[in-house]
Amino acid sequence: MKGARIVALAMLGIAVLVSSCDKSIVEPNASLPPVEAASVDANAGSWKMIVLSGPDQVVVPDPTPVTGAAYQAELQAVKTAQANMTDAQRAAVRYWTGAGVLRWNEIERELVARYNLPPAPRADGSYPLPDAENPFSDPVFPFSNPPYAARAYSYVSVAQYEALKAAWYWKFRFNRLSPARNDPAVATAVAASALPSYPSEDAVLSGVTAEMLKLLFPASLEEITRKAAEEREAAILSGRATASDVAAGLALGKSIAALVINRARADGMSTAPGNPAMWKSLSDAAAARGETPWQSQETPARAPLLMNFGTVKAWTMTAAQVTALEPGAPPSTSSQQMKDELATVKNTIDNLTRDQLAIALKWNDGAGTATPPGHWNAIASDYVRDARMSEVRAARVYAMLNMAMHDVAVGCWDTKMKFFNPRPAQLDPSIKTMIGLPNFPAFPSGHSTFSGAAATTLSYFFPQARASFDAMADEAGISRLYGGIHYPSDIREGKAHGTRIGEWVLNVARADGAN
Amino acid sequence: MPHCAPLLPRRRAKRAAVPRHLVRLATALAITLGGARVLSAQTLEDAEMLQRREVHASVTYASEGWSEYWEGTLRRSNGNVGEVTTQSVGLRVGVGVGQRLTVIGSLPYVWTEASQGVLHGMSGRQDLTLLAKYRVANPLIAGRVRLKLLAVGGLSTPTSDYTPDFLPLSIGSHSKSAITRLATHLQDRTGWFFDGYAERVWRSNVTLDRASYFSDGHYYETNEVAMPDVAMYRGTLGWQRGAWCIPVGVSAQRTLGGADIRRQDMPFVSNRMNATTAHAEVMYFLPRTSNLRLDLGAAHTITGRNVGRSTAFMTGFTYAFHL
Repeated sequence: MKGARIVALAMLGIAVLVSSCDKSIVEPNASLPPVEAASVDANAGSWKMIVLSGPDQVVVPDPTPVTGAAYQAELQAVKTAQANMTDAQRAAVRYWTGAGVLRWNEIERELVARYNLPPAPRADGSYPLPDAENPFSDPVFPFSNPPYAARAYSYVSVAQYEALKAAWYWKFRFNRLSPARNDPAVATAVAASALPSYPSEDAVLSGVTAEMLKLLFPASLEEITRKAAEEREAAILSGRATASDVAAGLALGKSIAALVINRARADGMSTAPGNPAMWKSLSDAAAARGETPWQSQETPARAPLLMNFGTVKAWTMTAAQVTALEPGAPPSTSSQQMKDELATVKNTIDNLTRDQLAIALKWNDGAGTATPPGHWNAIASDYVRDARMSEVRAARVYAMLNMAMHDVAVGCWDTKMKFFNPRPAQLDPSIKTMIGLPNFPAFPSGHSTFSGAAATTLSYFFPQARASFDAMADEAGISRLYGGIHYPSDIREGKAHGTRIGEWVLNVARADGAN
Repeated sequence: MPHCAPLLPRRRAKRAAVPRHLVRLATALAITLGGARVLSAQTLEDAEMLQRREVHASVTYASEGWSEYWEGTLRRSNGNVGEVTTQSVGLRVGVGVGQRLTVIGSLPYVWTEASQGVLHGMSGRQDLTLLAKYRVANPLIAGRVRLKLLAVGGLSTPTSDYTPDFLPLSIGSHSKSAITRLATHLQDRTGWFFDGYAERVWRSNVTLDRASYFSDGHYYETNEVAMPDVAMYRGTLGWQRGAWCIPVGVSAQRTLGGADIRRQDMPFVSNRMNATTAHAEVMYFLPRTSNLRLDLGAAHTITGRNVGRSTAFMTGFTYAFHL
């Protein structure tokens, strides 16, 4: 049985080979190249503010002179710390020199994905509401669904943008050079920048971002706090800042976060979940118009997601302006057009190709993901990474992108609740979906509105990729038809809505003095 | 001598012919939400060795369903799927290559559905599994108990482009795997037998259609998912007499890593899918045909983690012939 032995040996060989395969996962952005900004953007302190009255609304105290004993002692401390770096500290320096704004956006995407799970039903069929005052319980707080996430990304990005503009203002007012420029013996991770170091932009970012994230994701307080402290330590170890640069930056960042948080506490989010009476009145109003009202397809039935999110304050527009840019009515549920569109959904699902399924899954962005706004932040990050932007200019891209996606979320949710239009699977129970069915009315498609707004905004900052952004937005939109959860008109009107809001927000960008 | 009679008479007289038990185990032992060893491996479990040039061809139908599952360690139901049913039709061919080497191939077609909610069922050709069983030793102990030791190795690979990213309705994990197993078989002259094995399944990483996913506390921004390996253990006690053969046993699947399903989350392909399953089979040699056997089986997952609390039934026919 020589042959048999050979076969047995071959089997063993294959097993050994397979067991030694490397299964480790490499994420493309795990190591970002150190950012060497093409420009320090010396005038960023004069760029228009969004929440703050001006760049000096929070005052930064004068730094001590670089010739003084106190600063010299700080320089010595930098050099001592650099000489005693651990491997973990070196890794942290590499991580944060990939740029703080990029890193914090990545961290926020992870937080959104972690908390993007709907509450489980109670035994009696009711659903508990996540409670910010009790974030660790079941359900944990928050449920970072798409509107929650759109708002969260926008608050973090706007607060970062405000804080960095203020930081730039004070940096160029005091003009304290970086430690490496004051003392050539200080080592640097990248070539010493001409950017003044007081207050430290890394510390500003750590302070403002941690405060915002702790508000938005309170159950991850420990992780957020550790990341922020790591960023500040990396600023010193990389030779970009001394202890007083960091202390001033941290204080500035936290103070500006407090101002932005004041806005957040009063923007209407606390009433966004709505209530059973509102749910009934939305349904009754649709029925009174002769339409088939949306019904939850979940068991037990769940209230429409954040049914009152349409009243949350927008960043760049009044409530009346939000309404003015919203789409008109969808086709009546009893119209021939709706019958035709329903047939299109059914036909699509019944004849779905593998490529179409891949597109539906690629853009699913459902529970447990960073949501469609997070997906677009990830897309933006690749372009920001390659554009060699200063931190303040990178923050501007995210601020405009995320303000647009927040403002369109407000308009989109207002429209969804106004028309309370049923999903395809409600009107035709034989339509089964290839992705999870979102638990809120269909018209217009949230994916399409987010994507229209994002593609428009990003095309302004990265015009060379306009066609690509537009194609992505179209693909994100059509993915909802392939998934069996949206009618073609939801997608078409959604993208047009998103594009209008994107253009609106760009008017802010065009006038902010950064060009 | 009572035993599961061979389907075919031996072509050559053998010294102390060993009664071949025919533990055609039913199925779906590693019943999972769609994980490692669903219905694909259903009939690859036994220690049966075929004669040289003997061929067994089987057609099986299996159906498993669950209306409760373990979300991590929490046993629950979910109104948005109701009862999830996985059915399959499988083809299996075993060939005796030599007295000590038997090769088996199996390929199921699988389709899934949920009794409630809006999620679409999935269907397709699942994974081709090839196993080679090599008989290492075959001693007679104390003149009355035959001990058989087998070394088993195999490979499994998806045969269609199904997605693993739609659990619990995906038809499989879409992972390539390599299987190694040490199996033992003990049979005495009164018709009792014992089968047991320990197995390790190495699984390749899988690729999703999306560029990010959350698993094990981390948000991965890549489409590649690390798949933890799987250990399988199985013990079966059986009895054979005349045309009947009845094995009963327990199997345990332990996924060597992976995360729990989070509260109210969907299951994910790399979850830690564990299952302890009881199974029973009945094999009956049809009268007046020397080479056709009816196989029936049932299995139930007693306890698990990130898998359905499933009950499965299998039926099939095995036809034997010489090349």
